[in-house]
Amino acid sequence: MRELLQWLLGLAYKDRQSSSEIAKQRVRLVLIQDRVELAPDVMQQMKEEILEVVSRYMVVEDDFIEFEVRRLEELIMLVSNIEIKDASMLTPAAAR
Amino acid sequence: MTGKTIVVTSGKGGVGKTTATANLGAALAMRGHRVVVIDTDIGLRNLDVIMGLENRIVYDLVNVIEGKCRVRQAMIKDKQGLELYLIPAAQTRDKDSIEPSQVKELCAQLEQEYDYILIDCPAGIEQGFRNATAAAQEAIVVTTPEVAAIRDADRVIGLLEASGLHRPRLIINRISSDMVRRGEMMSQEDVEQLLAIELLGLVPVDERTVSAANRGIPVVHDSRSSAGAAFIHIAARIDGEEVPVNQIMPRSGMFNRLRDMVGIKGRAYSHA
Repeated sequence: MRELLQWLLGLAYKDRQSSSEIAKQRVRLVLIQDRVELAPDVMQQMKEEILEVVSRYMVVEDDFIEFEVRRLEELIMLVSNIEIKDASMLTPAAAR
Repeated sequence: MTGKTIVVTSGKGGVGKTTATANLGAALAMRGHRVVVIDTDIGLRNLDVIMGLENRIVYDLVNVIEGKCRVRQAMIKDKQGLELYLIPAAQTRDKDSIEPSQVKELCAQLEQEYDYILIDCPAGIEQGFRNATAAAQEAIVVTTPEVAAIRDADRVIGLLEASGLHRPRLIINRISSDMVRRGEMMSQEDVEQLLAIELLGLVPVDERTVSAANRGIPVVHDSRSSAGAAFIHIAARIDGEEVPVNQIMPRSGMFNRLRDMVGIKGRAYSHA
């Protein structure tokens, strides 16, 4: 019952959104995705910088870093996986 | 005399590049300049048709580049008597028949004698795009307020900047103030914000553009056309005149309808 209500509300909301608003949203997301994918050198530089920052606080596997641009409906996310080898540089919360 | 070479590009096809090239060429010539427009869409030429010169073609761009004729022989003079010349594209060749450096050399030669050289770039981002952009000192990107056109324009802006054509300027074509007001079309501000480059001008959607293309007379010659007025305005900006970007006004107003009925010559836009 609650789901049905939400679905109906969603439908009503979508109807109210103007097509220009929808277009703007779509272009915005598509441009983020395009721009990220089209700038491999910038991505590489960002990878290196992020890795450098993270390795100030913990020992990480420096040749394993993954970047992925993932789209989840209205959101575009940059997802990164970094392998941690040793977190001893980080102070445990309890010791603070 | 040193002229300026400007490339008109868009990425996506069908947004009005060729129409913009023909009209800006004519509008710049109407301002007293000597202008050459070059169609680099080899294999799919269109600029000759928009200008109504398709029956006068003897030599084309590839002939010039291959040295089969002199540049002057391939230049077709505008029908309306302006100092405007067209170098048509070859229809039966492909885009690999010419190289960017050859176009560059040709434009450098034309710049000695003419004020503006406008290059109509083919759609896409391959060889034809490189041929068209190599010679230019400035670039104009044409888009319409549509998702696909804006996406391709963004891609082209990136490529232009990467090839050293910094600060390309934007023309938003076929914008309908009525639709923008109803929230059914992205506005000038939306498009500007998304693409983040300088706006050169707005061209309203106008049936007269179609009639003009049917006749082969650029719409700038139609004094009752709002699109024609917009192109004249844009040409002034290209020419360095400090005019504000034109605002698109609806043509459906009582005054405009009356004016259309009586046939008073006027411009269907106002300054910002």
